[in-house]
Amino acid sequence: MFDSTHPVSSQSADCVPWIRNAVNNAAAKSRLLLWVDAVGGFFVCPGNEIHLGQAVPDSTIDLPLLADLSRHHATIRRDEEGYTIEPLRDVRLNHERITATSWINDGSLIELGPALRMRFTRPHPLSATARLDFVSHHRTQPSSSAVLLMADTCILGPSAQNHVVCREWPHDVVLHRQHGGLYCTSAAQLEVDGTRHRGRAPLNMHSHVAGEGFSFSLEEI
Amino acid sequence: MLSRTQATAQDIDVIDDAMESHPTHADDQPRVGPVRFTYPSGARPLDGYTIKRGIGRGGFGEVYFAVSDGGKEVALKLIRHNLEIELRGVTHCLNLKHANLIALYDVKEDEQGNSWVVMEYAVGDSLEEIIDRYPEGLPPEEAFEWMQGIAAGVSYLHDHGIVHRDLKPGNIFRDDGQIKLGDYGLSKFISCSRRSGQTESIGTVHYMAPEVANGRYGKEIDIYALGIILYEMLTGQVPFEGESVGEVLMKHLTAEPSLDKVPEPYRAVIARALAKDPQTRFATVSEMFNALPPTAATIGYRPPIKETRYAHQADEAPQAASTPPGGAGSGGKAAAGATAAAAAMGAAAAAQAGSSAFDDEPVWRTIRDGWRGARDSWDGLNTPTKIVVAIVGCSALAYNAELVLQLIVPLVVLYVLYRIVRNVVLQHETRKAAPYAARGPGAAPAHSPARDAGLDTTTYQPAQAAMAAAEQAAARAAAMVPKSSGDWREASRRHWKKRGRRRWRESAAEALVVKPARQRIADLAGSMIMAAVIGTVMSLVAVLLRGETSIEKEQYAWLTITSVVGAWAVLIPAKFWEGTRGDQTLRRVTMLVIGLGVGAAAYGASELLMVSYTDSAELQHFSKFNLAEKFYDAGGAPQLGAFLAYFGALFVAIRWWKQADPMRRTRLSVWGVGACVLAAWVVDFLWRFPQPWGVMVAAIISTSVQLVSPHASPEQSSGDLAGRE
Repeated sequence: MFDSTHPVSSQSADCVPWIRNAVNNAAAKSRLLLWVDAVGGFFVCPGNEIHLGQAVPDSTIDLPLLADLSRHHATIRRDEEGYTIEPLRDVRLNHERITATSWINDGSLIELGPALRMRFTRPHPLSATARLDFVSHHRTQPSSSAVLLMADTCILGPSAQNHVVCREWPHDVVLHRQHGGLYCTSAAQLEVDGTRHRGRAPLNMHSHVAGEGFSFSLEEI
Repeated sequence: MLSRTQATAQDIDVIDDAMESHPTHADDQPRVGPVRFTYPSGARPLDGYTIKRGIGRGGFGEVYFAVSDGGKEVALKLIRHNLEIELRGVTHCLNLKHANLIALYDVKEDEQGNSWVVMEYAVGDSLEEIIDRYPEGLPPEEAFEWMQGIAAGVSYLHDHGIVHRDLKPGNIFRDDGQIKLGDYGLSKFISCSRRSGQTESIGTVHYMAPEVANGRYGKEIDIYALGIILYEMLTGQVPFEGESVGEVLMKHLTAEPSLDKVPEPYRAVIARALAKDPQTRFATVSEMFNALPPTAATIGYRPPIKETRYAHQADEAPQAASTPPGGAGSGGKAAAGATAAAAAMGAAAAAQAGSSAFDDEPVWRTIRDGWRGARDSWDGLNTPTKIVVAIVGCSALAYNAELVLQLIVPLVVLYVLYRIVRNVVLQHETRKAAPYAARGPGAAPAHSPARDAGLDTTTYQPAQAAMAAAEQAAARAAAMVPKSSGDWREASRRHWKKRGRRRWRESAAEALVVKPARQRIADLAGSMIMAAVIGTVMSLVAVLLRGETSIEKEQYAWLTITSVVGAWAVLIPAKFWEGTRGDQTLRRVTMLVIGLGVGAAAYGASELLMVSYTDSAELQHFSKFNLAEKFYDAGGAPQLGAFLAYFGALFVAIRWWKQADPMRRTRLSVWGVGACVLAAWVVDFLWRFPQPWGVMVAAIISTSVQLVSPHASPEQSSGDLAGRE
């Protein structure tokens, strides 16, 4: 299954601006921290093109990593066919050094620089959203439990197939992007920033969502 | 410090609370109390710190992850109402320094008078999460590594005169390879109070030494807890499990742990650590640790990992454990030990698998196992082979219908009769055998067996008397607890696994619901074109297989048109029902209307093409029903009525939309096709239809619908049906 190191032609995936809400107009690369109570903190990167690099003061890189890396070390892109990684410096994919843009498959091990190792997964078969879990002790800045490369949907809940596995939750909650906004859908009643909703509720960049047996918050980075 | 009587009174209160609010659930896993946190992300209840998220509930209350104004990440533990004793404990521990302890930074008071303990935030997984990943037990070398860190930390605490009192996997973390103990200095009581969740209490009693019931809190209780943790690491289960707090307590007091599952070199160590009499346990943690075989660490044995999701993480474990202390000293002995360990674990796993096997009706079990075997080998075939096998099988069945039916019908009738008799007999027997169980969970003990066992005595009773009383109570408790799986953790794990697919379906369905209509229509158009192609090809194959010397063009055309229209008639509604679980009756009624439409189309096609039915002489012979006679002309050829009746019934009989469900088990299921063929036969009994054409149409519709409908399985993660994102 690890035959993914063949190079592909560089795909021009334009960075699609997503959350164009009143809160942030220049949010083309807006990133979020998703704080899920009793589960973890998640670094959410919504773009189709994510630049990875070292976390330095005043860094504007999409995914700043506290590791011995170059300031712009690699770029992960998502298009209709899947995910690719373009190595700008020392990058290994499934233990093999890559020099050209390569496909990343579910379960691939990505190694950046001398020591940073992370696992790439696409846990849910019906969503293009992927997840990066640190295998080495490195962290993002600000720190998080894992990174979510969010496409249109992101599913939180008890199933092991979900992007964020919340074992104690009674049911799934889906975050999805639509018409440039971010929404939250659940089978049960939700309370978003103190207002009750059933079904679908719009979110902003610092919403607090609570329901029977669960709660989570968003924070803009 | 706390006086003995005080502590005991509190404990008994706590135990009673837990027992009252924790009736025995036979099949229900204990409800995990929903964790609600007082403060949301962004709150600043304590000056200088911003809360980011709730972590969980520890000994005394909520624990949060927070960041100080300067950017330091910390864990904040909220201690309400300023419990004086707790705070004294924390203050006492505030300046302890050890690599295996979670550092306590400070204790602060907020404006409401609540106290907050500011402490180190451990990034990694807790031992509880690690154990969950290895349902059959951790590899011995990893267990050894954990044990080493835990022992060092506990030893340091004991050396400073502190008993941890709440050692459990949920309190032990591995942060960047370093094992760290948390929650020390706080746990003066058993950490189940009215405020904390029920799981907390049952989780904690699993590690509670028997003498705690009598108010003794020496270092020995930590040794006992270490014994339980070691057992749990090696086997994946705690030695004493039960459906209620009372049952678990009772086992701590009276039951001997079954050490068969534990590999030999560890058995003696665990047996001594779990001795009921504190005096016979190891005197110190280091004595216990030194009794462990130091060699297990060098052998690369790993038991199979059950949960695939974690497989990749587990991959990394041996690398992290690659430089364990303990040295490469005695090679040969070590190898022998590890092999024994491996064998013992294998045996344990086999025993478990055996016990969990279903005990139901033997004939049905044989059929089901055979069915599953056939299904598995079917799944192994590739799609073209499947199609060929399906066509050959269906046509073979279609021509021998009479014979097969004559065989099957009496057998089924016989079996149904046998099942009814068996059920009646069995029900009668169980009713006789289980008068207690029949009373159900509502009949939970009015007075707790724990209390009867002498738990409410404030003085330390002579061991013998206490044990005798406890034994009695345990017997009573055992009679009242329904004998089910017994172990809720194990049960919940099994449940979890079983639910895996259902959960996947649910979440997949959710993703499908948000699929935009335009995407659906595009998908549908593609499927319909494919269905037309496949229907045409399959009709040709079917006609050829029929082995007639001359292919009759009009019959082929009729078969093609009817099959394609039928497939479309299934695909269209199914696409719009995709991902929802609508009312079945409504769907069947819709399908009936659609089926009538297909029947009309089939009739129209046969009129237009002027199809002659070669078998119509045979038909005449069969149409015995008065009503049905009106459906056929004098020559026995079906009229519009017969077409409508046949197709209407065929579309009602089967839940056709299931065959287009993207979350069906396999792309092409021979059982699905078989069910359609069977339904076609049954319908044929009601309203004769020229065969094998009727059966062929059903088989072709089913096959083409399944082949053209999108399919996603939990194992494959590429088919993003929710539309390209």
